[in-house]
Amino acid sequence: MVVERRWKRWVYFYLPMTFLVVITLFPFYWMFITAIRPDAELYKSWRAAQNAPFWTLQPTLAHVQDLLEKTMFLRWLWNTFLIAIVSTMISLVCGLFAGYALARLRFRGAGMIGTGIFVTYLVPQTLLFIPLADVIRNFHLGNTPWALILTYPTFLIPFCTWLLMGYFKTIPKELEECARIDGATRFGAMVRIIFPIAVPGILSAGIFAFTLSWNEFIYALVFLSSPERKTVPVGVVSELIRGDIYFWGQLMAGALLGSVPVALVYSFFVEYYVTGLTGSVKG
Amino acid sequence: MTQHDMNRRQFIKVSGATAAVAATGIEGILAARQAPAYAQGTKLHIVRWVDFIPEADVELKRQAPEASKALGAEVVFEFINANDIQPRVTAAIQSQSGADLFFMMYNWPQLYQNALVDVSDVANAVAKDQGGFYGVYKPSFQVGGKWMAMPHSIVGNAVAYRKSWLKEVGANEYPKTWDEARKIFAALKKKGKPYGQTLGHTFGDAPTFAYPLLWSFGGAETDASGKKVVINGKGAIESVKFMQAFWKEACDEGGLAWDDTNNNRAFHAGEISASLNGASIYIVAKRQKEKIKDDKGEPMYLDIDHGALLPAGPAGQFPLYFSNGHGLMKYSKNPKLAKDFLKWMHTKANFEKWFQVCEGYSVAATTEWEKHAMWGKIDKPLRVFRTAARNTRIFGHAGPATAKATEAFSKYIVVDMYAKAVQGMKAEDAVKWAEGEMKKVYGG
Amino acid sequence: MKPPIAGGAGGATGLEVALPHPPPARRITRALESEGLLAAMLLTPAVVLLGLFIAYPFVMGLWLSVTSVTVGNVGEFVGLRNFVKAWDDSIFQTAFQNTFYYTFWATLFKLVVGMWVALLLNRHFKFKRLVRASMLLPFIIPTVLSTFAWRWMFDPTFSVLNWSLYTMGFIVTKLPFLSDGTYAMWCAIVVNTWRGMPFFAITLLAGLQTISPELHEAASLDGANAWRRFWHVTWPLLKPVTLVVVVFSIIQTFSDFQLIYVLTGGGPANSTHLLATYAYQLGVGAGLLSEGAAISLFMFPVLFAVVWIQLRYLRRMEGA
Repeated sequence: MVVERRWKRWVYFYLPMTFLVVITLFPFYWMFITAIRPDAELYKSWRAAQNAPFWTLQPTLAHVQDLLEKTMFLRWLWNTFLIAIVSTMISLVCGLFAGYALARLRFRGAGMIGTGIFVTYLVPQTLLFIPLADVIRNFHLGNTPWALILTYPTFLIPFCTWLLMGYFKTIPKELEECARIDGATRFGAMVRIIFPIAVPGILSAGIFAFTLSWNEFIYALVFLSSPERKTVPVGVVSELIRGDIYFWGQLMAGALLGSVPVALVYSFFVEYYVTGLTGSVKG
Repeated sequence: MTQHDMNRRQFIKVSGATAAVAATGIEGILAARQAPAYAQGTKLHIVRWVDFIPEADVELKRQAPEASKALGAEVVFEFINANDIQPRVTAAIQSQSGADLFFMMYNWPQLYQNALVDVSDVANAVAKDQGGFYGVYKPSFQVGGKWMAMPHSIVGNAVAYRKSWLKEVGANEYPKTWDEARKIFAALKKKGKPYGQTLGHTFGDAPTFAYPLLWSFGGAETDASGKKVVINGKGAIESVKFMQAFWKEACDEGGLAWDDTNNNRAFHAGEISASLNGASIYIVAKRQKEKIKDDKGEPMYLDIDHGALLPAGPAGQFPLYFSNGHGLMKYSKNPKLAKDFLKWMHTKANFEKWFQVCEGYSVAATTEWEKHAMWGKIDKPLRVFRTAARNTRIFGHAGPATAKATEAFSKYIVVDMYAKAVQGMKAEDAVKWAEGEMKKVYGG
Repeated sequence: MKPPIAGGAGGATGLEVALPHPPPARRITRALESEGLLAAMLLTPAVVLLGLFIAYPFVMGLWLSVTSVTVGNVGEFVGLRNFVKAWDDSIFQTAFQNTFYYTFWATLFKLVVGMWVALLLNRHFKFKRLVRASMLLPFIIPTVLSTFAWRWMFDPTFSVLNWSLYTMGFIVTKLPFLSDGTYAMWCAIVVNTWRGMPFFAITLLAGLQTISPELHEAASLDGANAWRRFWHVTWPLLKPVTLVVVVFSIIQTFSDFQLIYVLTGGGPANSTHLLATYAYQLGVGAGLLSEGAAISLFMFPVLFAVVWIQLRYLRRMEGA
């Protein structure tokens, strides 16, 4: 261990660390304060004498209550969760298989298919959603969760394939060969030997994919129409922004409550996740 | 899907149908006129914006089951953010599937004309019955003499201002001309109470200010043919020069970044003395009178009034409002039902209920409603909206409000002409820039 | 069959030594047959899903860009006219430059700050898990909603940042956060950095943990200071992971839409318009689907180059 002096530890570690944590978390603090701030304080001049933007003297839960009672927030949360989980699962399975094939197997057209998969990741969604609406109609998926569950993988699969492909390349080939000499089929070796080793990589790809689905806005806006089927970002924006009036408290309460479930998942997996990415990228 | 659910659904359908047949009164007559009853489970899907006045949506939601009963088909409203309607319409048209009726704003019926059903029969009947539509609808909703969407309502705007503050600088009423306005608000800005106006990329407040300013100085995008760009003229240059001075002397310079919501909050917090807006500044201040107070601790709404329109320039005063309506999509499988619904919605009895809830925030599309008793009952500041829709213009003026005008609007050319000028570009150069962009749009 | 070896890399290296390699010729012939089949099988789900859902929209997007299609109207083939029109358009030029500027600075900041955070988090301290998890928060929250919060913090009238600076006496007039073109662009870059930095930090942290501490100790015994240790020991080992993250980040930043759309809508006076927001405004706002598609496609060559570099890198890694 490199020894260092106490003051150095303060200057090079504690101070910058505190600084960065404060910057990172300040917007969350701000959302929190806004969510519990009574409306009257919103309409105070910034020059007002007892202005205290950083805290509030009369915290209120009215906004949270409004959000839960007057909108279908919990329903949206559940929808978002379900859609994100299922589309992540689908993408992971596809990404695992495709990543393995591209990383490990030699076959004709590998380069082309590999490039093809990645290229789809590059097409901006702002362009894609219009023709995609056509596809959704042909498959009769409009206004069902499947419209999102099946279209989210279009940007998740390339991502997962890409990440997992890098990961598979770091796993020594000899491991598989050993199993195959012992009589395992190629597929068996892949499933029983390679995939378990790749668990951290799979987790990290999964968590990123989950975040991307969680955040998605434009497909969710265009493909769903019933209020009870909407996702959190779309539902919150539709119901809490009324032309030139924002329901700030409820909006921010929605933002916070909407990220809590993912935060829980993340903190649970974060250690795995660190090791997962390590595998995928060491050269 | 459980068995139980299925049964319940069928039950609702059946009971809806029988109820329609059994209904009496106005609804009964309407229902009886429909020759073939709609197939069971027929649904009419209507997408509207979320109204700035929540109660207006509540009223429509309340009317939905009544309409369902009267028409013998399920009527479903979906309310979404105004900004999000266009992506929905676009995707619906391109995929030929989606809601039956879409909310239309500004001149959208021009833009989507080939995807809309001619609703002239409904529109002409309502116009005849209720005093005719306001002038703005003809250029924005009519194509070749046919109504491509059904006019519904106009959201007017007016300058909300603080009476007492204007008095402090010697103005007993809202200034009538831009020159007077400049003097008054320059004095107020010196006291830290500037005029608030956005010049950002917003949907409502920036264009509804910029276009009228241009028009009031005699500027226009094109000539009457709509083909020749005429913006680079005396009127536009004068208006830009005026704006540069007005901005510096009288406005809150943060306005370049405002969206449609900022001026509401700034006004309610007593940061600005006046701002062009819909009635929402006044209405919200009144509804939250416990929370929104002036510097003396009195409810602020008592100190708010509306100037009739934006002040007049040398050429007059012409507002730009939201001219709203409903477009019936060509792909809809129930065009007749949709038309019947529009008729139902625009019967005086039904429309009146919604109209009254709005308290002038939205006014009717037809002139007869100016005479409605509601105008005598509502607060004085809201009464300006009674006749406000009369002189309205739509963008593209003096030419027709075609898709080209929408393109120029979407590119924020007029708004940015002013935004560039107040940020330091020479007035002539800003107008020249706008001319260059417009020529690319209009192709000449 | 033997039970699977789930022990990870440790077990792997042990086995490797003991294994006899089969003669190369036979192995390749045998493998080629089954490999092709297996590959086809494994690729099917991904290819089918992408084929069903993206192939048509993708081709449609390409087609749109060379036609005169507007919303609700079947257009005709016009060659490269849309591209020429865009290229000649001053708003497009602004958006084009903005996109590069925004991507460059935002990616650079994310890299520098992310690296810094990663280096700090790589040490041992109390509440390490908690701090790591909280650093991820910006990445989790839906962009639309977090950007609303930022916009409020930058609010021209009520900005809490202005209030703090003013109260502390640093400024006498409000800073024009979003109302001045240059400020607005930098605000957007800051928000993007805030949002994307955790991705960098955690990924680089993962990379850092593979670097053996002995390397550092050896270097410090040789008298290298912290900076030199970073530059000569850490950085070279971290380069591969950095490349992967930077590539991901460039793709996402370059085609960023939500953040700008919510924060400024491209204003004031187009100073923050990006290709994606401008394409959206033309395609959806004005119904010019073909021109919107053409503008979107200007992003393609740049992104493709980025992917190409990445693929080359992956191949080189395979060779090594």
